[in-house]
Amino acid sequence: MLKFLIKRFIGLLFVILCVTFLTFIIGYYAPSNPIQIMMGDHPNKLLEAQLKHAYGLDLPPLQQYLNFLIRLLHFDLGTSFKTIGRPVNDIIGEGLPISLELGMWALLIQICIGVPVGIISAIRANSWTDTISMGAALIIYALPAFILGILVQFLIIWLDNTFGWSWPNTQWGTPWQYTWTDIQYKLAPILVYGATGMAYFARLARTSMLEILRQDYVRTARAKGLYERAVIYRHAFRNALIPLITIIGLSVGFLVAGAFFIERIFSIPGIAGITLDSIDNLDYPVVQATTVVLAIGVVFGNLLSDICYTLVDPRIKAE
Amino acid sequence: MEQNNGPKFSKPRFVQPGESMVPPGSPQELIVEEEAPALSAEVVDGKEVRTPNSQKKSQTPLQDSLRRLRKDFRAMFCLGVIAFYVLLAIFGPPIYRMAGPDYKSNMTNTVIPASVYRDFTHQEADRKHEGPSAQYWLGTDSIGRDLFARLMQGMLISIAVAAVVELIDIFLGVTVGVLAGYYGGWIDFVLARFTDVIFAFPGLLFIILLVGILGSKANDTLGNIPVIGANGNARLLFVSIGLALTVWPLMARYVRGQTLQLKEQQFVEAARTSGATDFTIIVRHLIPNLFSIVIIASTLNIANTIISEAGISLLGLGVQPPGSSIGLMISDATTFLENHPWEALMPSFVLVIIVLAFSFLGDGLRDAFDPRSKD
Repeated sequence: MLKFLIKRFIGLLFVILCVTFLTFIIGYYAPSNPIQIMMGDHPNKLLEAQLKHAYGLDLPPLQQYLNFLIRLLHFDLGTSFKTIGRPVNDIIGEGLPISLELGMWALLIQICIGVPVGIISAIRANSWTDTISMGAALIIYALPAFILGILVQFLIIWLDNTFGWSWPNTQWGTPWQYTWTDIQYKLAPILVYGATGMAYFARLARTSMLEILRQDYVRTARAKGLYERAVIYRHAFRNALIPLITIIGLSVGFLVAGAFFIERIFSIPGIAGITLDSIDNLDYPVVQATTVVLAIGVVFGNLLSDICYTLVDPRIKAE
Repeated sequence: MEQNNGPKFSKPRFVQPGESMVPPGSPQELIVEEEAPALSAEVVDGKEVRTPNSQKKSQTPLQDSLRRLRKDFRAMFCLGVIAFYVLLAIFGPPIYRMAGPDYKSNMTNTVIPASVYRDFTHQEADRKHEGPSAQYWLGTDSIGRDLFARLMQGMLISIAVAAVVELIDIFLGVTVGVLAGYYGGWIDFVLARFTDVIFAFPGLLFIILLVGILGSKANDTLGNIPVIGANGNARLLFVSIGLALTVWPLMARYVRGQTLQLKEQQFVEAARTSGATDFTIIVRHLIPNLFSIVIIASTLNIANTIISEAGISLLGLGVQPPGSSIGLMISDATTFLENHPWEALMPSFVLVIIVLAFSFLGDGLRDAFDPRSKD
C-alpha cells in the first residue's frame, strides 16, 4: 500500500512540475511587455532595465524557471506587476480563504446530499422517487454551471421583487462567519456550485448501489434471513461507497474549474476571481501563482482520494 | 482483459477531470466499453433474430446500426434539432437581413434598410432593451443591437469552434491512439503519461491560462485575417486549440483500447498472412472499424466543447465585442437581469437545448452502434 501511495505521489509531483513549467512557458512568451505597461506613459530605458533586473526578467529562461521553482519551494510566489512591490502571497491570501470555504461547503453538499439521494434511488429503483430524483439529477447535470447560476440569480431577484425580501444575489459575506446575513450571501453560490457534482454523485451512487445489490453476497445475506436494513446498510452500502471515493478527488478538479464561473457570476472575490482580474491587468505573476495554487489543490484532492481508497479497499494492497 | 487495461491505470477510473459537463454517465460508460470485449460484426448480427427473408439482403453492421438509430425517436428528434440549429446559424443571417422592412430612425431621421439594422454589430441608440417585435424578432440588447442576429452569429461561432476542435481531436486522437494500440512501446508510454497529466489537471484552467495570457495580443496578429480575425473572433483560435489539446488524449485512449481488441481479431491476422503491410492493415482494416467509437465520442464531446466555448466567452476570454457568442450574450445581459431577464435567459435556453440535443444524440448513437451497452 505504501508503495502504491509513493508511486501515486511521484506521479502527482510530476503533474505539478508539468503545470509549473507550462505556466512559466506561457508567461514567458506572453506577447505584451508588463514592464512597459508598469511604467505607463513615461518610458525610461534605465528604469526599464532596473525593473527587469528586480523582477529577474533579464535572466536566461531556464534560470528564470529554476528561480520560479525555488521560490515556489519557499512558498514565495513572487511580486505583483500591477500594484508594484506587493507580494503575490498577500493577494492570494485574501482570496484563498473565500475559495476554500466555498469549495469545502460545495464538496460537503455534494457528498451529504448526492450520495444518500443516489442510494435511496437505487433501493427504490423504478419507483416514482427514483424517477423524479434521477430526472432532476439528469437535468441539473446537463445544465452548465453558469446557466444554473443565472437561473438562481433570476429566481432570487424575482423572489425579492415579489415578496419584498432583500436577499442578496451577488457578493460574499465575511469568510468563515455564519451570521444570518452571511448565510444569505453564501447559500445560493454554494448550492449552485455544488449542484452539478451533487447530481453526478447521485447518479453514480445509484449505479454503484444497483451493481452491488445484484451481487451474490447480497443475495446470500438476504437468503440467510438478515433484515433488509442490515443487508443494505451493513453489506451493500459500504461496498457501494468504494467507487464514490475515487470521485472525490476528481470532484475537486471539477470544483476548481467551476470556481471561475461561480465567482464571476456571483461576483465573489475568491482566487478564481483574482485570476480573471489579473488576466485583465496583465499581472502574470499573480496568474501564474493562482494557477499553481489551483493545480496543487486538484493534485491534493487526487492524492486524498487515493489515500481514502487504499484505506477503504484492502484489495489495493495486493498491487 | 488485463492487456487492455494495461499497467498504466492502477485503479478504476470512472470519469476524467474536465469532463464534468459531459452528459450523464457517458464517459464512464465509454470507459466500460473500452474494457468490455470488442464490438464485432458477428455479435451485432447475432443479436438479430433472422428470418429467411432478411437473410437474402444481408446488411453491413453499419447499415444495421443506422437502422437502429432511425428507430430511436429521441435521437432522430435531436438530430433534427441539430440540423435546424446548423442551418439557422449558416443560412439564417443573410435571409434575416434580406427579409425586413426599411426602418426610419427617429434619432437620425434617415431610412435604414434591414440589411443594416439587422446586422449583429449594428447599434440603434434609441432602441435599447426592446422586447420581441416584427422588426427585431427577439428584441434588442442594452446598446440597441438585434438579439436574433447576435444569437445566430453566436450559434455559428459555437458550431465553428466545435468543428475545429473535433477535427483536431479526431486527427490527433485516432493517429496517436492507433499507433499506441498497434505498436505499443514508447508511443503507448508517452500517451499514458500524457493522459495521466491531462486527467489530473482541469483542462479549463489550462485554457484560461493560455487564452488569458496569449490572447491579449491575438487581435494584433490575427486581426487582418478575414474570418478568423474579424469581429473579435481572434482569440477563438487559441480557445479551439486549447480545447482540442485538452480533449484529444481521451479520444486516443478510446481508440487505443479498441485497436488493442481489433488487432487480435482474425481479419487482421488474415490480412497479415496475405502479406499486407502494417500501413495497409492500419488504414484499410483498423481505422474503418474505429468509426463507431470515434463518432460516439466526438458527438458527446461536441456538447462539452459548446459549453466550454460559451463559458470562456462568458468569462470575457473568448469572443470580444463587437463580436457575438452565446456566452458573451449571457455575460452582457447579466447586469440587466433584474429588469430585462429575457436577454440573459433566451441565449441560456438556446445553449441548453443544443447541448441536450448533442448529449441525447450521443447516447442514441451509442445505443445504436453498441446495443449491448444498453441496460
